[in-house]
Amino acid sequence: MKSKFLAFLGGAVLSAGIANAGGFQANLQGQKQIGMGHAGTGLALDHSSIFFNPGALAHLRQNGIQLGVSALNARIVYREPAPGISESRTNNPLSTPFQVYASYGKEESPLRFGIGVYTPYGSSVNWGNTWQGRFGLNELSLTAIFIQPTVSYRVSEKFGIGAGFVFATGSVNLQRSIPLVSTFGYESGLELDGGATGFGYNVGLYFAPTEQLSFGLTYRSRVDMKVDEGDVTYRLPGSPLIGANFSANRFNAELPLPANITLGIGFKPTEKLTLAADLQRIQWSAYESLKFDFNGNVGGPGMTTSESPRNYKDVFIYRLGAQYEVSESFTIRAGAYYDESPVQNGYLTPETPDADSRGISAGLTIALSEKVDLDASFLYLNKKQRTDDASKSGGVPGTFKSVAYVPGIGINYKF
Amino acid sequence: MKNIVHKLGLAAFFSASFLFAGCDPEIEDDTVFTRADLDLSKYVAVGNSLTAGFQDGGLYLEGQISSYPNILAYQFSQVGGGGFNQPLFPYEQRNGSGYLKLSGFTSSGSPIIQSEQNALAVRTNVAPLPGGPMLTKYTGDFQNWGVPGMSVLSSAVTQYGGINPYFERLLPDGEVGQRSYIQKVVATQPTFFSLWLGNNDVLSYATNGGVVEQTNPFGGITPVPQFEAIYSQLVAGLSRNQAAEGILATIPDVRSIPYFTTVGPTFKASLPAQVTQLVVLTKSGAQRKVIARDDIKVGASGTALFTLTSSGYLGLIGTQTGKYWRDQARAKFPTDAAAREQQVKDYIQNHGLDTTQLFGVSGGNPIPSQLVLDADEQNEITTATNAYNAFIKAQANTHNLALFDAHEFFNSVQNGLMLNGVRYSPAFITGNIFSLDGVHPTPAGYAIIANQMIKEINRKYGSLIPTIDVTQFRAVLIP
Repeated sequence: MKSKFLAFLGGAVLSAGIANAGGFQANLQGQKQIGMGHAGTGLALDHSSIFFNPGALAHLRQNGIQLGVSALNARIVYREPAPGISESRTNNPLSTPFQVYASYGKEESPLRFGIGVYTPYGSSVNWGNTWQGRFGLNELSLTAIFIQPTVSYRVSEKFGIGAGFVFATGSVNLQRSIPLVSTFGYESGLELDGGATGFGYNVGLYFAPTEQLSFGLTYRSRVDMKVDEGDVTYRLPGSPLIGANFSANRFNAELPLPANITLGIGFKPTEKLTLAADLQRIQWSAYESLKFDFNGNVGGPGMTTSESPRNYKDVFIYRLGAQYEVSESFTIRAGAYYDESPVQNGYLTPETPDADSRGISAGLTIALSEKVDLDASFLYLNKKQRTDDASKSGGVPGTFKSVAYVPGIGINYKF
Repeated sequence: MKNIVHKLGLAAFFSASFLFAGCDPEIEDDTVFTRADLDLSKYVAVGNSLTAGFQDGGLYLEGQISSYPNILAYQFSQVGGGGFNQPLFPYEQRNGSGYLKLSGFTSSGSPIIQSEQNALAVRTNVAPLPGGPMLTKYTGDFQNWGVPGMSVLSSAVTQYGGINPYFERLLPDGEVGQRSYIQKVVATQPTFFSLWLGNNDVLSYATNGGVVEQTNPFGGITPVPQFEAIYSQLVAGLSRNQAAEGILATIPDVRSIPYFTTVGPTFKASLPAQVTQLVVLTKSGAQRKVIARDDIKVGASGTALFTLTSSGYLGLIGTQTGKYWRDQARAKFPTDAAAREQQVKDYIQNHGLDTTQLFGVSGGNPIPSQLVLDADEQNEITTATNAYNAFIKAQANTHNLALFDAHEFFNSVQNGLMLNGVRYSPAFITGNIFSLDGVHPTPAGYAIIANQMIKEINRKYGSLIPTIDVTQFRAVLIP
């Protein structure tokens, strides 16, 4: 048979790809704030101001270190478009976003220095390799750890400014099936694995005009995470012709982590009660498309790049929280937030099948001694059920619903 | 004290993550799958190779299991459908008639195709039928009456059971050559049926390049009045005055299948520039036609279609060769050398051949008609297909039956179809829809067809029968 066997085997191998979404931004940067709907930009609550508002950090009076970790257990269910009947569920590994903050300032000095190590973005989704959307995604694991040295200056009792430099390091691992079944009966697959780095900054202003009232304004810059020379590996039929169509073994990619502007208000109607509200604008429109560059073919001759549109939109997150000091050694918290989805209709992907989400949370702090406090928090996250044809993103059409249960603990040590 | 609280905190932290492990999200919707008023207790599938699950040039167990009637019956069972048995080959004879397998690629990237010869259901201890070697009989009850090779014309012929081995294997010995296909399927008295028949009333003629073998009474184009008379008899017998519901299917345009579209474009590109025209035989006799180079169909331009089977001979264009005719004679008479010689002489005589002339470019040694479907032959096929389809649609209306317009569906996927991140198109091998014979679908192709039928049944009868996950079905296996 002389008919030329044209390539483009397993076409659209990379039509979809990594995504980050509302659900991809982890709202887990401080155990006290988690308990209050993750509000806290307008407060000088603790060392986590390094993340929430560097401008407020200098208004802390105590040196110390705090460590916290959350157990993120997200669950997603999928159903294919009607009148299809098949459903799939993720079997996501437990992920553990963490945060470490420490700050030091000389007594009576208006300067305070701090360092934060935290995980503002991350995702861990495992759909397995038999579900209907497996040619879009089997498994995605994405981590980003931000390391932020920070300096904060207390201009006056009422006013503070601060800035931090962000060095981000992370990793990405993406696995998906390729629609090529070998004569031995196994389905082909592709794995991308690489490390990523990026840079950014975090600046903030803090203003407390009265004893009861305080304001915060922060800007966290966009961070472009660059993957350089990541590894590409395959599971493919053995024919050399197939191998020639999948010759790439390295990839480069860039993923924007969007800029955030947050305005926060703190209000203390009584000595024991603190209320907080945050309005956060996330400039997701930075995420226009996901592009991979390969050093060879992926799917056919000349197919050395893959670009799929994302066209995210900017969104707001609204947060409310309250804290009540029951006693010297016991504090309780509650809060809620509403997170708009940046994913527009037609662009849903199985990496983060995002939808407008609602979070409610509670938390507490127990003072164990003069120097040691223990924080605990719990967040329940419920995303609206969303049906999308994924016609523009090359994703997986169907209906998705996700929930997450996130318990967390933290320990604070003052010195 | 501090230690205890610390331990308690840790315990609470970890137990909380276990505690909530059971709280899974659920899709909330009010979809209720229902058969509505359909009686799906006895579904019977009537049709040809497509209904039998034929693929890769053969009928074998895996293809039978992924036949569209089996998929339909499985989906029906989720809304109260009855049992469905197929005349499956036993596992020891799972390769049935034998079939084509892709075994590798040449250095230039062309597929190497071999045939599976182990674990066949072929009976070697009995004389073959005119339609091929006999196959292991199926005894027992079954509802998939798909018979490869069955046409509307042959369905009314009582002798056909003695001609077609796929029909023979379904008949008790006493009924072979005694009962027609129509008699058999009408007697099943289904409550629901699918009828996809008529492809072979044009397809044998088409795949044979417009040549009708004198020995094959079913190799031509069935005259439209005859088609209509037999088809209406079939529908009336199955529907029994609307006592049974069902779905009819139209006949796809044969010009769109990879059997005809794969070879031409590469052949045209490989022709030396000085070859501006080709000489071909047309239809069954000695009549020649000249085909201009630009008349080779590539995409939307040109008309002449070259069959998948032509690829082994088109490389010989411009040489002195009679290879095609000798191959044909050898296939007919593998052992009898004298008969083979006589056959070659007959070919030379009947077609006025001189194989010392240059193949394909001279009047004495034209490209055999079997390898080319030219514009005149296509017109005959299109005219008949359109008439058949108009009648099938009218019958669906008359008998209040659902209709799967396969003609329209296959036209609509000409430019490809994205489904679950997989691109489906009519391209050979890479298109995922068609199997290695270039005519019959892959399991994935059959699953797509079954889903289309389910949608049409739902539309017609107000039922909500679920569709199936196409990704669970394979396309061509790649070595």
